[in-house]
Amino acid sequence: MSIEPTQTELRRLLAELTSSDLALTAPADTPLLREGLGLDSLGGALLLKQVRSRFGVDVADEDLNLDCLATIGTLAAFIAIRRISR
Amino acid sequence: MIKCVIWDLDNTLFDGVYLETPGQRPPANTATIKVLRELAGRGILQSIASRNPPEAAGYATELTGHGFASVQCGWGAKSAAIKAVLTELGLTPAEVAFADDDAMERAEVSFHLPDVLVLDPHDLAEVPSWPQFSPPVITDEGRRRGELYLQRQARQEEAKAFGGSAKEFLRTAGTKVAIGPASQQDGPRLAELSVRTHQFNSAGIEVSPETFADLIRDPSQPGRRVITVRLSDKFGDDGIVGGCIIKIIETGPAYQVPLLMMSCRAIGRGVIDALLTWICLTAKGEGAESVIVPCVINDRNVPLRIALTGAGFRAGDRRAGQNQAKADYVRSLAHLLPELPDWVVTR
Repeated sequence: MSIEPTQTELRRLLAELTSSDLALTAPADTPLLREGLGLDSLGGALLLKQVRSRFGVDVADEDLNLDCLATIGTLAAFIAIRRISR
Repeated sequence: MIKCVIWDLDNTLFDGVYLETPGQRPPANTATIKVLRELAGRGILQSIASRNPPEAAGYATELTGHGFASVQCGWGAKSAAIKAVLTELGLTPAEVAFADDDAMERAEVSFHLPDVLVLDPHDLAEVPSWPQFSPPVITDEGRRRGELYLQRQARQEEAKAFGGSAKEFLRTAGTKVAIGPASQQDGPRLAELSVRTHQFNSAGIEVSPETFADLIRDPSQPGRRVITVRLSDKFGDDGIVGGCIIKIIETGPAYQVPLLMMSCRAIGRGVIDALLTWICLTAKGEGAESVIVPCVINDRNVPLRIALTGAGFRAGDRRAGQNQAKADYVRSLAHLLPELPDWVVTR
């Protein structure tokens, strides 16, 4: 199973959250926070809440260091792997 | 604790309907406005959710003599208007009350937002005596809360129009962050922050004003320090927006931070990053090798955890805490530390 569908769905969610289409086309290694897609710490928290309700993956509880918040690609991979292993 | 009351206008704050008689505006509902003023004086924010044109909110300000932290005038569902208030002010449904004379509107809000406290205007006279409207301490920052939210609106509008980066805006706005030891009179405000902060609170426990007073006063505990963070810019003075308790551990040697907290109001203004940098630089200057922040793991303080990891802290193993899981977030001081921006001053 590829992570593509998860990444596409995640990009749509990010576009909604940031009210910008940048997330739809930006490279997968674009950072989510600060200069990347411009999410601040509150925006990041909101994103993880949405990820939990849409994908059923509780990132904040599973990844204490929140490393997967680094880029679009790392978060998509984290979610996809959790979904497959269920 | 209720942090914001969201008011309907027609037949609630107004004694009549705004659009009913063109050219004529309804008088004030004096009994309701008396309750609004009493609650505003306790530091509880006031907002509007009304099916009216935006001018009606300006008229409500005229009548009440109070600015409204969030104004939602439109023709959609009241529950949607309340959700917009929650997003704008960074509040959760359980932290707001909604007053409306229309039983259908109250039912609609109760159905979609069951955690919102829905008030029938007939009960309003009693509301000031209810415990959820009676904060244990009312500080100067608390009393000025409504005013501070209005300053925030002005700041956000200017930030939106500003072309440069977020950092450049902080400089242009004349941002000043002052970090230093707490004095005795800071105790009540620090206690209030320990109750009110959730998104930026590492310990998830309430600390009483007496405990803070003891910690600040007691010279027999030289290894403990209480630090406050003040914030101001050209839009206004926010007063104390955050603080922390530092415990110096001789073996290690390390700085431990049993409590780290910051008001939501300071978000996006570089304050939490400034405080974390300041703690690391101070610790390193005093010979510590690491800074340890024990942090509860819940879904409310994710913003703090994002700030911690963004500042180079790494989480250790999860362990069972008193009521909830905890982990130590540790920053080694062996590596190069960032510099404090020049608008951060140490008192």
